[in-house]
Amino acid sequence: MTVTDPTTGGRAERPARAARAARPKPKTWSLLGEVTRRPSVYEATAAKFLYHYRREPAPFEMSPNAPINEWYLTNREGSPFTVADWEGFRDPAKLTYSDYVMVQHDRETYLDGLIDHHEATGSVQTLDPQWVEALTRVLVPWRFPLHVLQMTSLYVAQMAPSAFIVNCANFQAGDEMRRIQRLAYVTRLLANAHGEQIAATATARDPWQNEAAWQPLREACERMLGVYDWGEAFTALNLAVKPAVDAVVNDQLTALAIAHDDEFLALLLAEFDRDAARSRAWTAALVQYAIGQDPAMADVLRSWLAVHALRADAAVAGLAELFAGAPQPMAAAQVIEAAGQARARLLAACDL
Amino acid sequence: MPRLPRSEWYDLTRDMNWDLTYVTEDEAFPPQLSNSFGVPAESWWTWDEPYKITYSEYVHNQAGKDAGLFSVNNVVSRSKIFDNLDPGWKAAIIAHYGAIAVAEYQAGIGEARMARFGRAAAWRNMAMFGTLDETRHGQLQTYFPYQALNKEPRLDWAHKAYHTNEWGIIAARHLFDDMFTANDAVSMAIQLTYTFETGFTNLQFLGMAADAMKVGDIDFGALISSIQTDEARHAQQGEPTIKVLMKEGKVDIAQNLLDRMFWRAWKLFSLLTGLSMDYYTPLEHRTHSFKEFMTEFITKQFIDQFRDFGLEKPWYWDQLLNEMEWLHHAYHLGVYYWRPTAWWSPVAGAGPAEREWLEEKYPGWNASFGKYWDVMGENIRAGHPELTLPETFPMVCNACQIPVCTPAGYAAGYLDSPLPRILDFEGRRYTFCSEPCQWVFEQSPDQFKGHLSIIDRFLGGVIQPPTIEGALAYMGLSPEEMGQDGTNYAWAFEGHPAPAAERKVG
Repeated sequence: MTVTDPTTGGRAERPARAARAARPKPKTWSLLGEVTRRPSVYEATAAKFLYHYRREPAPFEMSPNAPINEWYLTNREGSPFTVADWEGFRDPAKLTYSDYVMVQHDRETYLDGLIDHHEATGSVQTLDPQWVEALTRVLVPWRFPLHVLQMTSLYVAQMAPSAFIVNCANFQAGDEMRRIQRLAYVTRLLANAHGEQIAATATARDPWQNEAAWQPLREACERMLGVYDWGEAFTALNLAVKPAVDAVVNDQLTALAIAHDDEFLALLLAEFDRDAARSRAWTAALVQYAIGQDPAMADVLRSWLAVHALRADAAVAGLAELFAGAPQPMAAAQVIEAAGQARARLLAACDL
Repeated sequence: MPRLPRSEWYDLTRDMNWDLTYVTEDEAFPPQLSNSFGVPAESWWTWDEPYKITYSEYVHNQAGKDAGLFSVNNVVSRSKIFDNLDPGWKAAIIAHYGAIAVAEYQAGIGEARMARFGRAAAWRNMAMFGTLDETRHGQLQTYFPYQALNKEPRLDWAHKAYHTNEWGIIAARHLFDDMFTANDAVSMAIQLTYTFETGFTNLQFLGMAADAMKVGDIDFGALISSIQTDEARHAQQGEPTIKVLMKEGKVDIAQNLLDRMFWRAWKLFSLLTGLSMDYYTPLEHRTHSFKEFMTEFITKQFIDQFRDFGLEKPWYWDQLLNEMEWLHHAYHLGVYYWRPTAWWSPVAGAGPAEREWLEEKYPGWNASFGKYWDVMGENIRAGHPELTLPETFPMVCNACQIPVCTPAGYAAGYLDSPLPRILDFEGRRYTFCSEPCQWVFEQSPDQFKGHLSIIDRFLGGVIQPPTIEGALAYMGLSPEEMGQDGTNYAWAFEGHPAPAAERKVG
């Protein structure tokens, strides 16, 4: 077998240089095809990044039957939540990594300022002890379930079929950590002012592990950790559990804080709804995109939602009892109603 | 800024470990995705990261880093800096972008696996930063070449490479899928973050960043150094994972995971970094040879770290030191000779001054590897560059997926036999370039046994037509993209005054 240099036909001249000069300069990556408009940086740094999705004979360059190849073939390629082309989905916020950290740098600067102000005024020290007692029950344990939301978002991220979806789920996980850490800071402020025990792990973990009000949420969270189909994990998290949690934490706890003249906590919690709104926006965009590609996807999502929404409802009902027990009580029914409406609005935005 | 120092409240961000009751431990942490190696859940909860950072600090820091980096890129991309880069350096960065950019994004999937399936909340938090970091690295290392596509169309491979079956990419994909995308969280902490990032990434990134600055590639130098600052942080997930395993008496497991990936990483690094350091970087900008770098960073500094943790040098240490003398010289010959199968245009790096340097750094180089370059130089000067091109393909190793170079190692006097190693396993014959590669395969045959190397595909009829042209098309290389001699054969004429007509050939 003989071969000639395919680039020169065996002649050591400089045809490639001439060919390069004649060739039009590429507008974008060749894999994105002929384009009339140069794709944005957001698109150029995500489009077709997942070389392994639907790759033959298996996603990863391993034995086709290697354990994780089978895992992805079952839970990603084999998911009932599937459309012909996921690459067309776009995050409404169109965030690159750089955009994300810039946006959150600004928002964290705002929260730093909010904390500065309240540390200067000593507002945590002057809280009503009864309200502080309520906070240890209704606020302090949240870092446990919020951590499950962070974990599940990163499961969705590692399994999603396009980098445009991966990025949304990654940033959502970052947002969960943001919320956890600010609540941890507040927990420490409460402990410094009102008793060290507030910051003990047991003060958060015992209710999470044992108190009746928290158990339905723990069940919803733990069962969500056992969901591995990527579409079902997305449904459980972004259509059922997270919307319920966001309604309770960002919205209803804010209202409860206002009822107890706790401006600091109210403003802090309200801030997190900016992040949650971004989650709802990409969730709705993804669901709409999938249904637009294949209307049958609506029923696929509904069938999963039927299971996880029930668990989320039970979780809210459990937590609502804690609101009813606050010094300035909020009716449990009001919390349940608010969470129900929040989900209804999200599902309407999703066309579900 | 808020008044409480991080140390006063940080533990409240990392104590979210509890006993599962609605699902079993295995249901929430399936062994395929998170191998506990028999360590009980509560022992994992003692996992303690050496480097603490909060979300707030993270976004503040990263926003500042990105702002600085984009300013540099903005200025550089409007300049002539890229056009004026040395062809060898261009080969190095085009090879780097193809092999690394999209792979780093996939490392984010690996980090997300640890962030979901890591066995302690503190670990999952560190891995979440790792996920974001790798998203950054994948995006930056595609954005920078994207900005320069109009100057160098081969930069398309920064994006396209992992969608192709180019042989080097198959090797890279095989390594990185084994290391992170297709690995479990616990193994990954040792294999990706400790073995690879703490060990080898330093070599690639610190070395290349320093070289880039010397060469005048400010853009690439700033990019790579900025990335390295993230790597240095999230690489520290390995250490606490090793400590938990050690405390539970699992030293053999930690050692085995390390040994397997250390060898695998060595192979790809000798291909990528070995060529860049000893052949592609312009001579006047070289400060260390690849072997010197390996010796300083890997075989001294990194080994000291192993020992600090109670781990030992891998069992194949002598074979590693042996390969450090010759392997990348053989790889370079192979890549140059099979240059139509590369997406970059390799430079020979074998002019008289380079050869003098190589002889100094690798005594005996002229008599061993130099003689091949003598023949290629003669053929080029005689007007027959086609004789420096391949007529068939080499055998490829079923572990590292890189061509078997044992004949070159044997001819250079470093091996006792030119033959590859052969293993018959479950009715199939496998070929390996070395004893450790065979050992890597035998450690986890379920991970590897059904995989076909590019030569298995060629001989098995997957690649059609089964010709060199068919194989090049299978590799995704268009005629304009296939590598050519990066200096248009100028190296062969250095020190060889020749008639003008003859020189024109070059």
